[in-house]
Amino acid sequence: MGGSGDVGGIKTVMVVIAMQAEALPLVEALDLVEDDLSAVFPGGVPWKKYSGVLDGLNVHIVVPGKDKALGVDSVGTVPSSLLTYAAGVALQPNLIINAGTAGGFQAKGANIGDVYVATEFANHDRRIPIPVFDKYGIGTIVAIPTGNLIKDLDLKEGKVSTGNSLDMTLQDEEHIKANDATVKDMEGAAVAYAANLLAIPMISLKAVTDIVDGTKPTVEEFLENMSTAASALSRTVPLVLKYVSGKNVADLDCS
Amino acid sequence: MYVMKGDLQGIWQEGELKPYGNLQVNPAAGVLNYGQAEALPLVEALDLVEDDLSAIFPGGVPWKNYSGELDGLNVHIVVPGKDKALGVDSVGTVPSFLLTYATGVALQPNLIINAGTAGGFQAKGANIGDVYVATEFANRDRRIPIPVFDKYGIGTIEAIPTGNLIKDLDLKEGKVSTGNSLDMTLQDEEHIKANDATVKDMEGAGVAYAANLLAIPMISLKAITDIVDGTKPTVEEFLENMSTAASALSRTVPPVLKYVSGKNVADLVCS
Repeated sequence: MGGSGDVGGIKTVMVVIAMQAEALPLVEALDLVEDDLSAVFPGGVPWKKYSGVLDGLNVHIVVPGKDKALGVDSVGTVPSSLLTYAAGVALQPNLIINAGTAGGFQAKGANIGDVYVATEFANHDRRIPIPVFDKYGIGTIVAIPTGNLIKDLDLKEGKVSTGNSLDMTLQDEEHIKANDATVKDMEGAAVAYAANLLAIPMISLKAVTDIVDGTKPTVEEFLENMSTAASALSRTVPLVLKYVSGKNVADLDCS
Repeated sequence: MYVMKGDLQGIWQEGELKPYGNLQVNPAAGVLNYGQAEALPLVEALDLVEDDLSAIFPGGVPWKNYSGELDGLNVHIVVPGKDKALGVDSVGTVPSFLLTYATGVALQPNLIINAGTAGGFQAKGANIGDVYVATEFANRDRRIPIPVFDKYGIGTIEAIPTGNLIKDLDLKEGKVSTGNSLDMTLQDEEHIKANDATVKDMEGAGVAYAANLLAIPMISLKAITDIVDGTKPTVEEFLENMSTAASALSRTVPPVLKYVSGKNVADLVCS
């Protein structure tokens, strides 16, 4: 299922993006066209798909779309896990890229606008204090190694901690620190979980909108820097796509 | 209601418009449990057989499906199964949500029942072993303090009304609050109270969201293992009462299945 791209290299990439505002600059930069999804996804889902070709690489950007009841982007782990699973089954990409915005920790060297490649994913808000279940809740998934990609494109790297809240309680903070995370987001670990179920390799690119351990309130800083970060993504993702096109997944790591 | 049929690769063919309202529950219903310990007594009670899923689901998923018939009703019990890395039940919203969606697409049930164990609040009248029908679902651990996003995070979904079922089977009813943690922080507690919940679980709202996306009606039955606002520590109480509650489920779910068989969803409400 999926395929590692070892025969003929990476030909089809599916980019999973949670928010319309993160996706649209990239859709424009790549000159993609919105697809009619009725043949691919069940009626009733608000998902959107944009497709095109970039230097011979088939590219699909999929977004969970607006919540049907409330009209806001369907952020968080549940919608993005399903989107990844269903679109992964339907499109059978060789590689999944989860691209989005996130908070960063200045204590770990993060700045607004930085784009991080995730080295590992974990959850910070699934606390199940029973032996083994506790590890399951954290659900650590190690990313595929991409040392060459990180070096050649001069990107930063760090661990991602995922949770369903934009704010951060003391318990969340404890778990983020235990996860040794540089980046705090709301989808990464769920997309990784779905990609893992389908055995499709996955990379995650996160652009920093706010400094979690800084002085500015999160919501304010996030809204202020959203478009800066989305622009950073729309510059970085095409470079990553061109880099991976035709390569084998194994080539992305330092040989 | 727009009805579409999908094949198992998720490719959807042309749909057709069917009149909403008289949804036959016969011939098929789906049943969902999230833990093996909750599911197996029920699988035995209903004399179901485990299916080979390799033809239906991608190879990497740990999901299990048990099927059989009960008084002319097709019954499937699906569980998310054991986590591949750690071997424990895949509890929580993401696995059960994926399971509900994928099995909903594959099995096309007329009804989904999410059955499982949960914590209950004695302040709202809950006792160990009670079985509650959910009247509403909400999330307690998705805090997004931006206007409208805040409501989205809570993600309230109303259950289909089942007044007749509740009355005729003498069940209790209450609101369910879902989150991914077994423990409860102050913020979780605030949100549970704001949701006016009687029952605290780890899957309900995720299953409801999937059923909603697929436009398949859903009922939830939750058996109480621990009193959240009691004096005993949650983990201890949960482990102690797990099999009591699982037994309560295996006594309650079959009557519910027999009750719904052949009825229209509309009949489940007080007429």
